Amino acid sequence: MGEEKNFVTAKQVTSGMRFLPTGSALHKLSALLTLLLLIAAFSFTSPAFLSVNNGLTVLLQTSVIGILAIGMTMVIITGGIDLSVGSVLALAGVVAGLVIKAGVPVAPAMALGVLAGAACGLVNGIVISKMRITPFVATLGMMMIARGVALQLTGAAPISRLGEAFGLLGNGTFFRIVEMQPNGFPKVIFPGIPYPAVLLVLTALLGAYLLQKRQIGRHIFSVGSNEEAARLSGVNVDRTKIWAYTASGALAGLAGMVLMSRLVTVQPNEGVMYELDAIAASVIGGASLMGGVGSISGSMIGAFIIGVLRNGLNMAGTSAFIQQIIIGIVVIGAVYIDQIRNRN
Amino acid sequence: MLDTHASTTPLVQMSDIHKHFGGIHAVEGVSVDLYPGEVVGVLGHNGAGKSCLMRMLAGAMLPTGGEIFVNGQRADLKTPQDAKRYGIETIYQTLALANHLDAAANLFLGRELKTRFGNLDETRMHAETKDALRQLNPNFKNLKDPVARLSGGQRQVIAIARAIYFQAKVLIMDEPTAALGPSETAMVADLTLRLKDEGIGIFLISHDMHDVFDLCDRVMVMNKGRNVGTFRIGDVDKDDILSLIIKGALPDGWVPRGRTS
Repeated sequence: MGEEKNFVTAKQVTSGMRFLPTGSALHKLSALLTLLLLIAAFSFTSPAFLSVNNGLTVLLQTSVIGILAIGMTMVIITGGIDLSVGSVLALAGVVAGLVIKAGVPVAPAMALGVLAGAACGLVNGIVISKMRITPFVATLGMMMIARGVALQLTGAAPISRLGEAFGLLGNGTFFRIVEMQPNGFPKVIFPGIPYPAVLLVLTALLGAYLLQKRQIGRHIFSVGSNEEAARLSGVNVDRTKIWAYTASGALAGLAGMVLMSRLVTVQPNEGVMYELDAIAASVIGGASLMGGVGSISGSMIGAFIIGVLRNGLNMAGTSAFIQQIIIGIVVIGAVYIDQIRNRN
Repeated sequence: MLDTHASTTPLVQMSDIHKHFGGIHAVEGVSVDLYPGEVVGVLGHNGAGKSCLMRMLAGAMLPTGGEIFVNGQRADLKTPQDAKRYGIETIYQTLALANHLDAAANLFLGRELKTRFGNLDETRMHAETKDALRQLNPNFKNLKDPVARLSGGQRQVIAIARAIYFQAKVLIMDEPTAALGPSETAMVADLTLRLKDEGIGIFLISHDMHDVFDLCDRVMVMNKGRNVGTFRIGDVDKDDILSLIIKGALPDGWVPRGRTS
């Protein structure tokens, strides 16, 4: 009798809680709210902030971090971390730049760049799962190796004059409307949706689909949640980890293509500290460094929080140093909220 | 000892199994067999090597030496997947559940149902899980909660459901009732007997003498990595088993109980 009564109360408590969003949804909601608050605040401080032009600029600026954050999120959900994405981004750019210089057309050269990124990720995955090196150390090593290779291949000099086609991915737009004025000067009515933003949306949709709807996504969550349980249940843990790191490397390569294309120059020392922005985006978006928790949508919100903060603070004339401080505080704050959530 | 089974091949036969970790000999030359519809208790105090032995049968650990036969065929159990292919399912003492995933995701982990496009078939997995769990516990409600939020009993039910859903032929139960209350323990006992009637062979690791004498047909006692005796349950009593567990030998002057000679 007593047991039955306890059962009923337990049931009432859980059904009562259904009205409130649960754990990760709550975190995502609070992150989204933060994003909206930031946008509202910056609209007050700077009148130019809330304009179509600036909105598209933020989209463009955030796309590189956003693409990195998608791969980072997958790795973080497995309970790992990928510190190498900033360097891999540079190396992928160098590979693409060098093969273009060797006479290969832009599209296959960029595909090779992405493949070079994937190869770095594959090495990360193999070192982590087969050699049993912790992800932090393995990807720290790869961070130095990839950067070193990129600098060695180019002699630390940028590769420029890559042709107009190389700049298309980073600078092209959809639906750009330009009107010729009577005085002979063109007037931009709508600057167009930048290709990188479209690429970000497509990559994010693909990432979310893989994580939520496919077996590999389920396995990524299970490995991060309880690696031993996943192994005993028949999940191929090594293959799952290798997959996640390879995806992260390939996305770092893709982000490298976008960034170098935007500059129409390959800079072997680009992307320093980008991994930290990507990690921050994932963590702000609710991913747990302990593994098993995270989402692409959350990480996209996180990436845009960082992007909007940077952009808004720039427009308000805040120095780059102060920006670092503020973003640091936001990261700690987001993780603190997560801690409180887990304690409840 | 095996007269009643002489006509059938054993479901599982582990022969001269060794497991060494560096210089430590966790399992030394253990042989044991299991017949269809039989419950064999695996006893011994902590560190006697019983979990280790069972992990090798579950494919979670590679033996250093020895052979395992399933249905008379030599089986190479390198991974848990291999063992599952032979119909060997395990309920681990730790339950081996991914805490962030819900009941259905855990039940089908590693063996997900898919739609014809290769996507996860959540609808079918949830429906099947609901049926499987309701059979064990009609009150099971929180199907979509991460299992971290469920009670110990509910988590145990998921672990059991996972082992029997896939038509196990051999079931390894490592302390299946350690986390359960009295009514749930009775449920597990009923279930064990039902599975036994269906012809499933069960290895039961337990410290609970009650369970052992109620459920087992035979017991195998391990002491310091060795098999110190396999007996029909009618031939031994509680004191004999305790003596085997602690001393590694039967009490002096032992004769099979329940036999006249």
